[in-house]
Amino acid sequence: MRIALAIGTFFILLIHGIVFYDQFFHRWERNQIAYFDQARAMAKTDAERAALSDRSPRIEQIVVSNFGETRVDRCTTCHIASDDPRFATYAQPLRTHPYSIAMGDAQKDGKWERRHKFSEFGCTVCHDGQGRGLEPKYSHGEDEYWPDPLLGHTTQESWRKDYAPKLKGGEYLEANCAQCHTDPGFAGTATVEKGRKLFFATNCYGCHRIEGLSDGTIGPDLTEVGKKWKLDYLWGRIADPRAILATSIMPKFNLKDDEIKALVVFLKSRKGRNFAETEIQRYKVKLTGGAELVQATIKPVEIKPAEMLKQGEKLILDRACTACHKLGARDGGIAPDLSFEGAIKDEQWISDHFRNPKSTMPDSIMPTFRFTDDEFKAMTAYLVSLKAAPALANGEATYKALCLRCHGEKGDGNGPIAIHLDPFPRDLTKAGFMNSKSDQRLVDSIRNGVAGTSMPAWGKLLTDEQAKGVLAYIQTAYTKEPRRELKARQLPEKNPIAMSAESVARGEAQFVNRCAGCHGKKADGKGPNSLDIQPKPRNLRNARFVGSVDDRRLFESILYGVQGTAMPPWIDYGLNNNDVGDLVNFIRSINQKPKGGQNAVATK
Amino acid sequence: MLGWLTGLGLFGSGILSAISNFVFIKPRATYGQPQRFSIGKPDDFPPGVRATLGARGLCVVREGNKIAALSTTCTHLGCIVGVSDSGFACPCHGSRFDQDGTVTGGPAPRPLPWYKVTLAPNGELEVDKDIEITPGSYLSL
Ligand code: FES
Repeated sequence: MRIALAIGTFFILLIHGIVFYDQFFHRWERNQIAYFDQARAMAKTDAERAALSDRSPRIEQIVVSNFGETRVDRCTTCHIASDDPRFATYAQPLRTHPYSIAMGDAQKDGKWERRHKFSEFGCTVCHDGQGRGLEPKYSHGEDEYWPDPLLGHTTQESWRKDYAPKLKGGEYLEANCAQCHTDPGFAGTATVEKGRKLFFATNCYGCHRIEGLSDGTIGPDLTEVGKKWKLDYLWGRIADPRAILATSIMPKFNLKDDEIKALVVFLKSRKGRNFAETEIQRYKVKLTGGAELVQATIKPVEIKPAEMLKQGEKLILDRACTACHKLGARDGGIAPDLSFEGAIKDEQWISDHFRNPKSTMPDSIMPTFRFTDDEFKAMTAYLVSLKAAPALANGEATYKALCLRCHGEKGDGNGPIAIHLDPFPRDLTKAGFMNSKSDQRLVDSIRNGVAGTSMPAWGKLLTDEQAKGVLAYIQTAYTKEPRRELKARQLPEKNPIAMSAESVARGEAQFVNRCAGCHGKKADGKGPNSLDIQPKPRNLRNARFVGSVDDRRLFESILYGVQGTAMPPWIDYGLNNNDVGDLVNFIRSINQKPKGGQNAVATK
Repeated sequence: MLGWLTGLGLFGSGILSAISNFVFIKPRATYGQPQRFSIGKPDDFPPGVRATLGARGLCVVREGNKIAALSTTCTHLGCIVGVSDSGFACPCHGSRFDQDGTVTGGPAPRPLPWYKVTLAPNGELEVDKDIEITPGSYLSL
């Protein structure tokens, strides 16, 4: 008992002793004592000696409130000789911070003078790192959860090994310089500048928003990207988006290492508010969507009529169109094949699609890029010139060359680019749907395409025989089930109810009651039930599509349902021709007829 | 023997705790502005100047080659005193101080403190508001 007591109290003493030692004999204290000793030994004058006489180790602290959130910066507690020119050749932590003209330091009477005084700027404004930490492991250690690891010099253990060698070095410091020095020609931030140019030149701005610079909505907002993510993550997301985030839809741009570095440095400099940008500047950008920044950053190409095609081709390849689209041997794996664009689309459509993708395909995710009129013309001219049809031996070869990219290897509508298409490609294995349509209707869909969707009019490229061939291949290889005789249906050729305000109102009431659950209150196909049904309900505000289908087809879909989808036959629920007539009028009334374009012609 | 050991353990712990308590009763660092800071080059203060640095609560006095820094925080209730012909004057309750900060009138109970000024190795003047020195002692440049 007494032994236990004795050991216990001894143990308590031991713990007390350890805590006591830990609290009184810090590494920073030893550093400071070493500094005082050495400085005293160096002191030549009484004044120098006097300056040191009263100093004892203590926590040195700089409170910086001008740059972002208030920073508490205790770096000089250890790096106490940072501003003492006599320690230029010493080892860290007792080493003078280097003077450099690049940082604005100037020599006066043979002595250096700092432009960025530590008392005003602290250390973390430039270097990042944890300013409050008093131990190396806290202030610039390798903790993967710290938001701002010491910039440029620390490669953390958790970082991907293959990126690590590319992430060391002072270039990353530029990101912090650029938070104040935003003027384009600033000598100290050349890499940031290069990154900014690339951000516009590779069309990143089309998808990403950065407040004050761009307003894309497809990708994540990058306004605060530099605050949130670390170097290795940014590097990875640019170099190979899917390797870092499997669900990323960002294309893999084939950038060189130094270009990725420039983009990383540029992104690292975006930490929300940029101290040098004024409210007025940001407001201006908001009004114009950053158009003038794009113009200022990338010089418009001067289009010479003789070289129009060549220049159009170069623009398409240089400005990253093929990062998403396929064109000949290049393939971004995200968007449709442009290799025969000239054969299947007319000039008007291509030009409209360039200027405003949503005007030709309401649910397209393609961003609106900013090119000059001449550039648009050159790019359109180049695409229009792509008329060469591929040699297609039989139905199977045709399917593989033209259909597989969207409808997939198994014909189930899960082609490599399908997830980026809206509406989704048709599932050709669904016998219910495939067998409820006449061969003629299916061949027509192949030949005329489906307006307002990514399904092009292959008739421009295929003969009637070839289209039939590919349908036959689809039916034997994918649909499989033998076709049954189609029952003849009683359908009006034209809507018997005349278009009128009353009819539209009745149709709307019907729509809200019966259809809005799936097609949504706005008729955009995004009703509450749409989440878990496949294929997704039609977007009935897709004017191109609605304009292209005739009354008969709308009547058929509503009255008899669409087999292989969630659309039920409403005739079973008591709808008659008059009700459907009202519904059709309502649907037509919310879609203005599109003008021009090849797909505006109704398909039968 | 065991009794001794127990006693030593308890007593030792007690002493260590007591010392720690005394030392750490005051935090080693607070988040206020630092008390030791640079005020610029000596050239920024030509001889004869009495410059007040508002944000720092200081008046820098230079006479010939001697330089000193006085507090401008009134010792009565802590208002910031202004420089007057005869020294300093407090706007609140009328305390007056002479050139050296000695009270010449009003409710202020103590003279204005003088702070330690040193010449840092980078050639700038540093004031340490944690160290008060006897009024009238200057740093000679
Ligand atoms: S505070 Fe200055 S006189 Fe009262």
